Amino acid sequence: MPRETFQQELDRLLGEVVDLGREVESCLGTMSEALETHDAEVAAGQIGVDAHYKERGAEIDEECMILQARQAPVARDLRLIYTVQAVTNSLVRVGTLCEHICQAIAETADAQRDPDLEAALLEMSRGARDLFRQGLEIFAARDIDRAHGLEADDDRVDLLYAEAMNLAVNPGKDGSGSPEWRVQAALTVHYLERIADHGVDIGERTVFLVTGERMESAMRQYRDRQLDQYDD
Amino acid sequence: MSDISEQKPRTGEHGGASSKEPAALGMRIEDLSAFYGSFKALTDVSMDIRANKVTALIGPSGCGKSTFIRCLNRMHEIIPGALAKGCVKLGDQDIYAKYVDPVRIRRRIGMVFQKPNPFSKSIYENVAWGARINGYKGDMVELVERSLRRAALWDEVKDRLKESGLGLSGGQQQRLCIARTLAVEPEVILMDEPASALDPVSTQKIEDTMEELRQRYTVVIVTHNMQQAARISDYTGFFYIENMGDPGRLWEFDETSKMFSAPDRKETEDYVTGRFG
Repeated sequence: MPRETFQQELDRLLGEVVDLGREVESCLGTMSEALETHDAEVAAGQIGVDAHYKERGAEIDEECMILQARQAPVARDLRLIYTVQAVTNSLVRVGTLCEHICQAIAETADAQRDPDLEAALLEMSRGARDLFRQGLEIFAARDIDRAHGLEADDDRVDLLYAEAMNLAVNPGKDGSGSPEWRVQAALTVHYLERIADHGVDIGERTVFLVTGERMESAMRQYRDRQLDQYDD
Repeated sequence: MSDISEQKPRTGEHGGASSKEPAALGMRIEDLSAFYGSFKALTDVSMDIRANKVTALIGPSGCGKSTFIRCLNRMHEIIPGALAKGCVKLGDQDIYAKYVDPVRIRRRIGMVFQKPNPFSKSIYENVAWGARINGYKGDMVELVERSLRRAALWDEVKDRLKESGLGLSGGQQQRLCIARTLAVEPEVILMDEPASALDPVSTQKIEDTMEELRQRYTVVIVTHNMQQAARISDYTGFFYIENMGDPGRLWEFDETSKMFSAPDRKETEDYVTGRFG
C-alpha cells in the first residue's frame, strides 16, 4: 500500500494521544478520590503533573506540524491531524484543571464544609469524570454512535453546575462552611464544568474525524436517516 | 459510501457547487461518452463548469480525464475513429450540434498541452500568429503585449520579442503557449497537465498565472499533482474506473475545499490521500 510509512506515523501519533488521555484520566480518578476523602496528601501528589502534560502536548503538536510539512495531508489524514491537535489541547487543559482542583483540595483539607454544596460537588465530579472517559473512549475506538448521548449527559452536569453555584452564593445560616472552602468550592465547580465540556468536545471532534461532518450537521443527518427509514 | 445508486457521481448542489451562491455557468456537459473505435473510454459524464473559476480534473492514469478535456473543444474527434456522444454546451450553444464549425469552437475554447509546443518563430510571431490567421483587425502590437502580460511573461521577454520562442526556458515556453492561446481571445482555457514537465519554480509561475487567468477566463485543468489541484482550483472532479476494462466515470465533483477535506466517496478519499493509484 502506498504511504505505508505515513500511515504508521499516523497510527503512532494516535497511540500517543490515547496514552496521554489515559494518563489524564488516571489523574482525574485520583482527583475524584481525594475530593471524596479530603485526602490532602493524595491531592498534593498530583501537583506538578500539569507541566508534564504540557510537555507531552507540545511534543504531539510538533509531530503534527512535521507531518503536515512533510506529508501534505488531505481529507481523512488532514481531519485526523486537525482532530489530534484539538484533542491534545483538550487533554492538556483537563490535566491543568485537575491540578488546580488538587491544589484546592490540598489547601482546604481541614476546612469546614457545607454538606449540601459538597454533595453537589461530588456529583459533578462523577459526571465530569464520566463525560471525559466517554469522550476519550469514543476517540480511541472511533465509536461515534456513542457520541449522540454526550449532550444529554452534559446537560445533567450543567444542571448540577447551576445548583452548586446557587449553593455557593447563597450559604445557609448553619453549616455553610468556611469562606476559604466556599471560594475554592466555587472554583472547583467551574473547573469540573470545563472538564465535562472538554469530554463532550473530544467526542464531537471524533464525529468530525470519522464523518467529515460537524456534530450538529451529523446529528441532523442521523435524525433524517431515521425518518427516511419510516418513509420506505 | 459505496451504496450510491446507479453509478451517479456524488456532486454538491448546483452540479458540484455546494456553496450557496454558485458562480455563473460557463459550460454544461450532459451525458457525455467518448469512444476510440469500439472502445468506450468515458461514459455518462455530466458536469457544470462555472465561469471565471478553475476546475481541476484528477484521477488515476487511464480514467479518461484527458479524453474528457479534449471533448470539451472537439479535439477528441481529430483522432481517427474517435467519437464523442452527448451534449456539451458553451453558454447556450451545443458545440456538437450539426451546424457548428469545430474550428470556431476551438477559437472560443483554447487548449494548452502538457509539453510546451511553441512554433519555430519569434516570440512576437508565436503570439500574433493565431490572431492574424483569425483575421484580427486591431492593434497587433497591443494584443501581443496584453497577451504576454496576462500570461505573466511580458517582463521577461519584452526586450527580445524578435528572438525565437524556442530559445526560452521550458516554463517560459509554456507561458508563451498560454499567451498564444489568450491572443485569440477565448472564453474557456483547457489545460492538460500544463506544469507536469516543468521544474518547481516554473510550476509556481504557471500557478500564479492561473490565478490571473481566472479573473477573465473559465479554466479547466487536468493535473496529476493533487497539491496543485488543491492550491489553484475552485472545483475538483475525480474520475475513476471501478473495474479494469470499464470506461472512466466522473466519480465525484464538488468544491475543492470539500474534495480535499471531507469527500463523500471512499474512492475519492483513498485517491487524494494516496492510498491507491
